[in-house]
Amino acid sequence: MSQIIRHCLPLIAAMALLAPVRARAQTAPAANACLTCHATQADTRLATPARLFSGTDVHRERGFACADCHGGDPAAGDKARAHDAAKGFKGAPKGQAQIATCARCHSDADLMRRFAPKQRVDQAAEYATSVHGKQLAAGHGDVATCASCHGPHGIRLVRDAKSPVFPTNVAATCATCHADPRHMAGYTLPGGAPLPTSQLADYTKSVHYAALTKGNDLSAPTCNDCHGNHGATPPGVGAVANVCGTCHAVFATKFQTSVHAQIFDKACVECHGNHAVLKPSDAMLGAAGHAVCATCHSGADDKGAMAADAMHGQFTQLEAGIKRSGALIGRVKNAGIEVSDQELALREAATKLTLARTEMHAFDPARVAPIIAEGTKIVASVDAAGQSGAAELRFRRSGLAISLGAILLFVVALGLKLRQIERRSHH
Amino acid sequence: MVKGVVDWVDARLDLSDIKHFVAEKGVPIHTQEVWYYLGGMTMFLFGVQVFTGILLLLYYRPSSAEAYESVQFIVTQVKFGWLIRNVHSWSANLLIALAFAHFFSVFFLKSYRTPRELTWLTGILLLFLMLGFGFSGYLLPWNELSFFATKVGTGSAGAVPVVGHFMLRLLRSGDDVTGATLSRFYGLHVAILPAITTALVAAHLLFVQRQGMSVPLSIERAQKAGTRGPLQQMKFFPNYILRDVLAWYVVLAVVAALAAFYPWELGAKADPFAVVPPGIRPEWYFLAVFYTLKLIPSHVMGLEGEQLGVVAFGIVAIVLVLVPFLDRRASRGERSPVFTVLAALGLVYLVVFTIIGHYAR
Amino acid sequence: MIAPDPIPVRAGAAFDRRGFLDALLAVGFVSTAVAIAYPVSQFLIPPASGEPATASAGAGKAAALPPNSAHIFKFGSRPGIVVRTAEGDVRAFSAVCTHLDCTVQYKPDTAQLWCACHNGTYDLGGNVVSGPPPRALEQFVVNLRGDAGDEEIVVSRA
Repeated sequence: MSQIIRHCLPLIAAMALLAPVRARAQTAPAANACLTCHATQADTRLATPARLFSGTDVHRERGFACADCHGGDPAAGDKARAHDAAKGFKGAPKGQAQIATCARCHSDADLMRRFAPKQRVDQAAEYATSVHGKQLAAGHGDVATCASCHGPHGIRLVRDAKSPVFPTNVAATCATCHADPRHMAGYTLPGGAPLPTSQLADYTKSVHYAALTKGNDLSAPTCNDCHGNHGATPPGVGAVANVCGTCHAVFATKFQTSVHAQIFDKACVECHGNHAVLKPSDAMLGAAGHAVCATCHSGADDKGAMAADAMHGQFTQLEAGIKRSGALIGRVKNAGIEVSDQELALREAATKLTLARTEMHAFDPARVAPIIAEGTKIVASVDAAGQSGAAELRFRRSGLAISLGAILLFVVALGLKLRQIERRSHH
Repeated sequence: MVKGVVDWVDARLDLSDIKHFVAEKGVPIHTQEVWYYLGGMTMFLFGVQVFTGILLLLYYRPSSAEAYESVQFIVTQVKFGWLIRNVHSWSANLLIALAFAHFFSVFFLKSYRTPRELTWLTGILLLFLMLGFGFSGYLLPWNELSFFATKVGTGSAGAVPVVGHFMLRLLRSGDDVTGATLSRFYGLHVAILPAITTALVAAHLLFVQRQGMSVPLSIERAQKAGTRGPLQQMKFFPNYILRDVLAWYVVLAVVAALAAFYPWELGAKADPFAVVPPGIRPEWYFLAVFYTLKLIPSHVMGLEGEQLGVVAFGIVAIVLVLVPFLDRRASRGERSPVFTVLAALGLVYLVVFTIIGHYAR
Repeated sequence: MIAPDPIPVRAGAAFDRRGFLDALLAVGFVSTAVAIAYPVSQFLIPPASGEPATASAGAGKAAALPPNSAHIFKFGSRPGIVVRTAEGDVRAFSAVCTHLDCTVQYKPDTAQLWCACHNGTYDLGGNVVSGPPPRALEQFVVNLRGDAGDEEIVVSRA
């Protein structure tokens, strides 16, 4: 107690001269006795907030202090007066109180305009529509609130790479609750099944995760890109294709024209999964046992199975053709024939294959066939060029064989001449 | 017509000395005379290399960004570029093979004995120069194989004690094999080595012409003992010369056949940051040495294995240079079985280790 | 006149053996000389494509490229696209889409480069505007070479 007084005494004099700051951070910064006491506490629950707030914190850097969220008297030197409820002290706000504390500023457009004019001011309203918001309203206090994702103290801007809501960190942040079976116990899916906790494990296997973390592509989706930020809710029935389609527009358009669009309420997720979205391959297509189509389609009289098989066959045939042609061109190039035109043409053939794989999402072989046909034509012309390249190599060889003949002719003639000279010189 | 030209030059420059020399010069005829042609064949191939090399020079670009592409350009775009390049590559290999054959025939026949020590000296230096040509030229296409083979080869240079690191830096023009190495090897291959070689070939030829062809020891001894009379001579001009030309045309036919039926590949462009492909090895003429160095354990009696190997090969090279001065018996005209055995051992070692090195994984 | 040394010719031989051999030798020598000289002389003639297309490539005539249009050209073994903007500026990019290597095309209505495979769109600075491409298109340096009115577009790596 005497410690506190000794530490706080010199500040009391200073504080007497300075006015406490609320939402007027552009004037002289206020004295913050809260930090001074809390920083020296042995209990980490009290000391950590002070430490974090004293480091990189977006609010502190703009002149805000503890009392702006927690209330109380920042100038007071002792706990009783500092924590005075009459001065508005509310302790550590939780649940709806926390939302209200943050929203007091962040839903105030006039206020936010003075600090971050472009920032949105509807986060709290959006939150109310989210699963988290609805559960909180229903009385479940352990759902995520503002501080759960952004942190209560030491809050960093979203574009700060160390922020828990920076794109590469979002999945881990969500997983602090969603991957914990104990935390998620009791919550269920709409159908009644228990809420899974495997999303993070699945997501780390996906191409999206690889693109984000290894490909340095910050536009790759993480949890909030499909589920929403503050209005976090899984995309509903009929909405999945739209959500995937925000980036994969071409596939979504083709899918919407297909027979599957009417049947699959989970759209893209039916075949590609929701979190463990793996790199797709031609093996997914077809009526063979391991193919995704075989989950529903099988049998000789199943039109879907036949269509899947037809398209699979077309893809494998064109891919094999491109590879074979590439090998022929490579051999001929290695032996010294100019093949850059053919290499360019093979690129076009590969482009056709990519286009065909896109078209496949309309699930109609008749639409895929013409694209494949164009690709096959290109491969055929490259093959022809490759064959003529090989023929040129054979022609060169025969040309050299003729030169060889000339040389050998000369050698024989010279040998005979030598014999003649030597026979003559013996006379 | 040829006579007319000769007379015209003679009237102006007095070729009487040369004419006399050529008219008098003879080449001894005996059972071992077939080895005489190897030296000329080697020289012919060197001429082919200079000729095709100069042609390639017109299009080749010695920078790491363009070397591979320029070779590709020569082989695919330049008319008959593929032919010139293939002849250059094959003739290089044949040249070294013939140089070794010439070296071994001289070694076995002991032609190095007095008074031909200087001919041997220039010859052994020429052999090393040919190996230098092979090593420096191999890097120039800047493909994967040649890049890594150079890395390994120059790395071995670093194993020489005391001066090794300096030598490595000197060869590589830096610590690693880079475009700087390519530039340096190019300078070596087209300017420095050819200049030294020209001087040495001129000297070598001069000595051979002045001293005439050496005759096998057994014949020389028999002649001294009186059991054999003077050897029949064939005229240098035109008989020997025509035979020489015949041999050269045969070599040309072999090179043309190889270029036609086993064209040299372009390979993939060198990527300095790629992993060394497994089983990388140098060209066949370095295989024996390379494989021997690989076989030596990493530490032998407290010394670094590779260092020991490199020093050993260095000693062998010095001994080879000094052979005429070490083989006192041959210089005196006596039988010298020790050196015959050494030559045989050397040949067997090279052949066996080249074969093993080729098939070893 | 002293008769020359008789060359042993078989009685009744219809041809002059020595002359035949000399002729054979001459033919052999000339044919080998030609077999060497012809390729060498052809080798010396500079090929039509000029020089290896590592650092630069031709991209057609400037006059053949009207404003707000583009065409594909070959840069080594990869496609490039040369664009003349509506203002008359000539720009060149790699035509290889950074997403899955499809060849991009120019859309005159939006003045953007577009990839038909997955709808990737780039602006005329090569930067990604929308769609899956992760990186911008490589931009090349453009120069015009030749007589005024008949310039050739020469594209080089930056």
